Amino acid sequence: MTNTVKFSTRNLNFFYGDFKALEDISFDIKKNEVSALIGPSGCGKSTYLRCLNRMNDLIPGTRVEGAVTLDNEDIYAPNVDVVNLRRRVGMVFQKPNPFPKTIFENVAYGLRVNGVRDKKILKQNVEKSLRQAALWDEVKDRINDSALGLSGGQQQRLCIARALAVEPDVVLMDEPASALDPIATQKIEDLIHELKKNFTIIIVTHSMQQAARVSDITAFFYMGKLIETGDTETIFTRPALKQTEDYITGRFG
Amino acid sequence: MSERHHFIKELEDLKLTILNMAALSRQALKNANTAYLERNDTLAQEVIDGDRKINALELEVDAKSLKLLALEQPMAKDLRVILGTMKISNELERIADQAVNIAERTLFLSQYPPLEPVASLERLMETTDQMIDLAINAFLDENADQAIKIRHMDDMADQYTLEILQAMILYMVKSTPATEKRILNTRRSIQTIIISRCLERAADLATNVGEHVAFIVKGINIKHQKVDFKE
Repeated sequence: MTNTVKFSTRNLNFFYGDFKALEDISFDIKKNEVSALIGPSGCGKSTYLRCLNRMNDLIPGTRVEGAVTLDNEDIYAPNVDVVNLRRRVGMVFQKPNPFPKTIFENVAYGLRVNGVRDKKILKQNVEKSLRQAALWDEVKDRINDSALGLSGGQQQRLCIARALAVEPDVVLMDEPASALDPIATQKIEDLIHELKKNFTIIIVTHSMQQAARVSDITAFFYMGKLIETGDTETIFTRPALKQTEDYITGRFG
Repeated sequence: MSERHHFIKELEDLKLTILNMAALSRQALKNANTAYLERNDTLAQEVIDGDRKINALELEVDAKSLKLLALEQPMAKDLRVILGTMKISNELERIADQAVNIAERTLFLSQYPPLEPVASLERLMETTDQMIDLAINAFLDENADQAIKIRHMDDMADQYTLEILQAMILYMVKSTPATEKRILNTRRSIQTIIISRCLERAADLATNVGEHVAFIVKGINIKHQKVDFKE
């Protein structure tokens, strides 16, 4: 594991109109680590996640202050190609959202958008991504069937494969397992452990146990502020701050 | 989000079980000491018989802890309280075992005339009792600093144990050469040395309790290392 900083956030403020949703967030995310963002609903953790690939740009009336750099480059600089940024920083959402296409086409989609036409390369990359997402063995014999025929857990892994196909550096996951049953959840969690060898992963989760199981670093958000961050083991065994302690032991809400 | 009233209540209940166990273990050791000093067989037998209750409480703590770990998935201090509690209950049960051991020696010794009193033995009894009392209060008040204090007292307990050993060796050496009496003196001396060992063990166990309390309160393991919280 390297200690290279992948994402660096400095004094980040984020506004929805007049509402300040994030306040003075400074946080480094290191390469090949899994960082979990936890905190009660409305604390800003998903907003922060969406700042990292500028998904918030799509919401009218929002404003960003402060700096976010990816590999030391300001992602909010005027010359940044947002489509390219989102290729480098992929995203997986709470509800699996496969396209109403075949399994193959779902994974090939990003590659085609990026101009890949060679069928052999497409095939190789689709298989590689499906293998990385631990789905290949389950779908290899029905690769041309509709993705909508897959189970919820398989659909979510398909979405992960789709995100991986364009070879991102970072994968953002916004509650990727909250709509899944425990076995499908387990598969996603196992997958996260595997994926961190090649990717940097940032996950928002409402399940503290999940954060504890999958992440190296945990960041606790509350009311738009980053309250405490540290090694996951430390956060869940002896957090430094009472607010963190109270949240993870369920003492406030 | 719920505030986990039910869980907090169960955690309090677990702590109460420990306090109940601590009170019984401390009393068992006090009674064993009194039985020895006063050559009271009835009291010694009470200590031996009472151990079953303490063993049962240890099982109760284990069962309650297991349930809370499995069903509540506690984190941070809650997790430390449960882990610490399980360890403390184990130490308390062993303190009670030492009391039983002393009571058994007492039943033997009270059949024979008393040995000359050894001042260090009564001091050891007092120190050990104070250490257990401090450890229980440290748990009750969540006071990690007491752990350090108990450790210092443990050094005193070790010193008294050594003094008792020296006194008994001297007694055995000095004993009259008449064979039968010498054997009896030696047997009584050895039993007394065992009693002092039991007390010294109980003092160690009280030290462990203090260390578990420090773990619960501070989240750090201070076993086998020097720590001063006031630094």
